[in-house]
Amino acid sequence: MNTSRRSFAGIALGAIAGLALSTSTAWAQTKISFYYPVQVGGPLTQVIDGYVTKFKAANPGIDVEAVYSGNYIDTTTKALTAAKAGAPPTIAVLLATDIYTFLDEDVVVPFDGFIKTAADRAWLAGFMPAYLKSAQVGGKLWSIPFQRSTAVLYWNKKAFAESGLNPEKYPTTWDEMVAYGKAVMRKDASGKVTRWGVGIPGNVGSAQWLFGALVAQAGGRLFNENGTETYLTDPKVVEALQFWVDLNKVHGVHPPGIQEWGTTPADFLEGRIAMIWTTTGNLVNIRRNAQFDFGVAPYPGKVAPASVLGGGNFYIFAKATDAQKEAAFQFAKFMTQDELQADWNIQTGYVAPRDATWETAAMKKFVSEVPAAEVARKQIPNSVPEFSTYENGRTTKILNDAIGAALTGAKTPQRALADAQTEIDRILRPYRK
Amino acid sequence: MKAAEHRVTGIDATTLGAWLLALLWILPLLYALFAAFHPPEYATRFDLLAPITLDNFRRAWNAAPFARYFFNTFVLVTLILACQFVLCTLAAYAFVCFPFRGSEVIFMLVLIQLMIMPEALLIENYRTLSRLGLLDTTLAMGLPYLASAFGIFLFRQTFKTIPRELEEAAHLEGANALQVLLRVFVPLAKPIYVAYGLVAVSYHWNNFLWPLVVTNSVETRPITVGLQIFATVEQGIDWSLVTAATLLSVAPLLVAFLIFQRQFVQSFMRAGIR
Repeated sequence: MNTSRRSFAGIALGAIAGLALSTSTAWAQTKISFYYPVQVGGPLTQVIDGYVTKFKAANPGIDVEAVYSGNYIDTTTKALTAAKAGAPPTIAVLLATDIYTFLDEDVVVPFDGFIKTAADRAWLAGFMPAYLKSAQVGGKLWSIPFQRSTAVLYWNKKAFAESGLNPEKYPTTWDEMVAYGKAVMRKDASGKVTRWGVGIPGNVGSAQWLFGALVAQAGGRLFNENGTETYLTDPKVVEALQFWVDLNKVHGVHPPGIQEWGTTPADFLEGRIAMIWTTTGNLVNIRRNAQFDFGVAPYPGKVAPASVLGGGNFYIFAKATDAQKEAAFQFAKFMTQDELQADWNIQTGYVAPRDATWETAAMKKFVSEVPAAEVARKQIPNSVPEFSTYENGRTTKILNDAIGAALTGAKTPQRALADAQTEIDRILRPYRK
Repeated sequence: MKAAEHRVTGIDATTLGAWLLALLWILPLLYALFAAFHPPEYATRFDLLAPITLDNFRRAWNAAPFARYFFNTFVLVTLILACQFVLCTLAAYAFVCFPFRGSEVIFMLVLIQLMIMPEALLIENYRTLSRLGLLDTTLAMGLPYLASAFGIFLFRQTFKTIPRELEEAAHLEGANALQVLLRVFVPLAKPIYVAYGLVAVSYHWNNFLWPLVVTNSVETRPITVGLQIFATVEQGIDWSLVTAATLLSVAPLLVAFLIFQRQFVQSFMRAGIR
């Protein structure tokens, strides 16, 4: 008994000594962990690893452990689990829209405290205001734009030309989109549609994104800046959903029911739909696989043309030492510098959120080769942030279910949105103080 | 005569139903085979004469360190299965042959574990493993599953059906407790072990969320986490690539099943009859 206890004490002592040794060697370097998701195709983990290697070479005092963590939802789950258990990552790329969730859980710190020098302020001022706006809550900046996207319209120029339309002229209003859609429709002998006019993906998980664009085009607003209110019963919001439903029910230019996000690019590439609404992130894929001439256009408008922003930002987590947070801030600055953003933009199809990035030589060369890439940039000033409130997962699901019910005809748009508003009110009430 | 006729049509309906279900079940696999072996243009267009290519597999293999992920999954599944067999066998043996005061209550506690979704324990498990300093290890991925309540329950029920006379006879021959377990109980429960092993292997081969949350590096992560890289939601799905990667990752299980098919089916039948 006695000997075993003594040997146990010996082991414990040894372990403590080992621990002390390992921390003392780690002192020389600040070690930070970085979680990131991958949402678009290609060997992007290798690209990120390349950036991290460059950062480490430029900052020998900082060691970054880059951890690929699945898609956005997986990464958020992993980061929040780790944060709840008291061992969060130092920095992570997570959805810009999840800001209220992180505020609610009290796991992130604002960037304002790190911005000290004139150079830092100049760097911050370089971001496009539309992207910075979606990262600000209560007068503080909670995240830094990194892999941002926006939604655009792709149109099939060949289908337009076949139908007697000017192949270079894209629709700028809802009415034009419907008229062009009717012109390009094709049916086979049995009356089955072989080519639809327009496709707007509305499946659960992405419906709220493009719906945000429709609402902005109608001149409406979905939610307030504090994330505590939604305005689903607003006549403009109802009008937007009614238009989406009518594209099939009244105008017959949109496939019936719910168009799937994942198959929409394939529908476009196969010529089954002549105009699709999807993310700029699809440009690389469509450019590589399209057998016909296509164009990328900003969205049309009812009141005014408008689109919606999406994508991920850098968040710094609260539970880290000051040295780690400072190192994480340096890392975020490194990852958003213009040369690197230009490369990231070209490799992925994300829209660089800084004007100066578009002035780099690499980016200018890319835009001259793929003029479509610049459409997204020009549209950004007219873009609104994605639907985002407290309890974002739940409110988004309620909104998505309402959109689904309206698109499948289970409820009228008015009824569906009114029901959703009542349910969301119940969830957000505690946050409206 | 009439009855015989009736029976014949009855059998036909069952056979037809079985074929129909089998066809439904295998359709995704057939599609995966088609899409994976043809260029991406043919992923959503069925054409028997489409050119056959291995390019999708090459792209998939190069997009992630699959060899390493395979090895990790193999180590993980082996570890879990070996520990589950030992722990669950011993626990079930104790519940059946060495009843003690409160053993029924403890068994109830084990059963309660069956009702808790592992996802509900995500944070608590993470916290525990973090305290143990085991984050980002193969052991961390396996530890929460080593003492399987389902395994204990299944083996206990099986051991209970084994006639007591056999155990007593072994005792008379001078066998000790461990020998009784290894010479009498385990050999007689062999079909159950095979059936349980199959379920456990396929579950842990496919497990995703916990391994993702608890690991950080390529050196420990299993194949499911590697597969996730192809689910590029934002960009629309490259079906050829996804199906090629999926086939790669299920291939070992599929091949193993085809080879041991007869044993599996037999063991399930015997397990069902008991």
